[in-house]
Amino acid sequence: MDLFDNLLLGLSTALELNNLGLCLIGVLIGTAIGVLPGIGPIPTVALLLPFTFGLSPPGAMIMLAGIFYGAQYGGSTTAILVNVPGETSSVVTCIDGHEMAKQGKAGTALAIAALASFFAGTMATIVIAVLSVPLSVLALKFTAVEYFSLLVLGLIAAVVLAHGSVAKSLAMVLLGLLLGLIGIDVSSGAARMTFGVAELSDGLDFVPVAMGLFGLGEIIANLERPAERRVVSQSVRDLIPSRADLRAAFPAMVRGTMLGSVLGVLPGGGAALPPFSSYALEKKLAKDPSRFGKGAIEGVAGPEAANNAGAQTSFIPLLTLGIPANALMALMIGALMMQGIQPGPQIMTEQPKLVWGVIASMWVGNLMLLVINLPLIGLWVSMLKIPYRLLFPAIVLFCCIGTYGIANSLFNVWLMMGCAAIGYFFIKIGVEPAPLLLGLVLGPQLEENFRRAMLLSDGNFLVFLSRPISAVLLGVVALLLLALLSPTILRNRKAALAESS
Amino acid sequence: MQSPVTRSGIDWRDLLFGLFLVAVAAGALIATHKLNVGSAADMGAGYMPRAVSLGLLAFGLFFCVRGVRRAGLAQAVQAIEPVQLRPLLAVLAAVGLFALTADRLGLAIASVVTVVLASLATREGRLRETVPFALLLSGAAVLLFIKVLALPVPVWPR
Repeated sequence: MDLFDNLLLGLSTALELNNLGLCLIGVLIGTAIGVLPGIGPIPTVALLLPFTFGLSPPGAMIMLAGIFYGAQYGGSTTAILVNVPGETSSVVTCIDGHEMAKQGKAGTALAIAALASFFAGTMATIVIAVLSVPLSVLALKFTAVEYFSLLVLGLIAAVVLAHGSVAKSLAMVLLGLLLGLIGIDVSSGAARMTFGVAELSDGLDFVPVAMGLFGLGEIIANLERPAERRVVSQSVRDLIPSRADLRAAFPAMVRGTMLGSVLGVLPGGGAALPPFSSYALEKKLAKDPSRFGKGAIEGVAGPEAANNAGAQTSFIPLLTLGIPANALMALMIGALMMQGIQPGPQIMTEQPKLVWGVIASMWVGNLMLLVINLPLIGLWVSMLKIPYRLLFPAIVLFCCIGTYGIANSLFNVWLMMGCAAIGYFFIKIGVEPAPLLLGLVLGPQLEENFRRAMLLSDGNFLVFLSRPISAVLLGVVALLLLALLSPTILRNRKAALAESS
Repeated sequence: MQSPVTRSGIDWRDLLFGLFLVAVAAGALIATHKLNVGSAADMGAGYMPRAVSLGLLAFGLFFCVRGVRRAGLAQAVQAIEPVQLRPLLAVLAAVGLFALTADRLGLAIASVVTVVLASLATREGRLRETVPFALLLSGAAVLLFIKVLALPVPVWPR
């Protein structure tokens, strides 16, 4: 049993004392930033990246992964208690979750959310373990040609399936690719777009870029909105749900998990899309849809399960093929590269301890989250009482110190400042910055594989079509782009995204 | 969130994004014009920058044209919400101030001034509250980043 051996290897890695500790730190930080609205997992992971440098590769990835799925748990706490989504993925939980809280059932809602997340997390871990093996076998056949096509597919699919205008997102990918080209060209040694700045010769560091675009840009835009008044009035009781509640919630959990697992694997998926789809599904299946919006327990269980399952299965493309499904996974790629690990299809065979350790740690982490969330709920509630006027200067400070600390370089702080201004500009003109980060991280690999493929084929572009795997991958790209042009899909996509925004 | 709708035919969101892209692409083309482009089989350092910049330029022009020519379309054009200078300038200045002071004055002092300046971004801040808070954060930052995480940053002026 290959799978069994792999999982055992993973568990033994995840249960090492060091890694258990890192996993706990990760999920604690994740829950904290999940609970706090106004700071998301992307700037947090960017901020912590520099400090994972000294850790072992599995330890670093286990901690960063914990932040991501921990944030999904924390986000729902805020959604239920304050009716403010702690994360974008918990927007739907506000609807019925907060309604339940108003009816005095906050404890039940929180418990159901946590149980649904735990159930989904467990199932998604199994999905990852099962799917990883065939994908990695396929990946062994990859050369530079296939890998280039795969990178193109990853980038295009991430753009098509994510939020926002497709044309603008494509332009952002190109912008990211261009920024990724900054630095000394590896094969010729020529300096490209460094403008004589010594710090740029190693390329643009993506940590300050991510922190500026996602962290600081967001803060500036948040400050323009009138301050929200958060009311966390009621005490949380009855954390153990009744048998009837469980019976009502369980089928929704199962459906949410399945939906989330599938949507999470798709590039551009991750944690944002699944909860909306799950909510729509539950409402459609319900005998009495009018209960939704008035505290229906399925409306909490389904989306919560879906967002957790999606958050976890979005690791599949990363762990098996080295392709990030969303901006956060792009940061994970960056973390791997900092550890000296080349992300790509060979990663599963070359780094089994890392891949399976991370997979097993997700289940361990989910167990920790269940314990952290239910009994310690009071702690998280008290965190919600920190006003934003105190919170944001602290985030600004930590971003500054973090960027400065990466390479002890003040240049990075200036770079972050510039990116903050640009990030604010992007928010103002309604452009999604995530594709830029994908392009920036994948740019160097895209160029290298393109170059190698062209060298092999003697400059013949048809090589991408004459190799079967590559041709199929590019065929999917073409289908995706064609499908976008078809008017019905265009309309449906617009409707689906409008509903979710 | 629904933004106000204007009736002037120009979609400023598209136009500004387009102009931004054109500017970046032009800058990149100028910065890399001396690099050897080579051929597809033997790419020089300038091949990819040239290809990507040209793509970017095309996108930029497309958005410029689309932004200006929205007039004839039935679609409502979303206006950009007015820019508020206070949060923008305060946050950017706080980061800049950190960059200027961290090396010379050390992390302890740089943290305090950064936090105080950043909290000016909102009118809600009161100095009576922010100053003690900044001192507290500064202490925490020194402990966390220098003592625990061992960042090579000076604590005090040198």
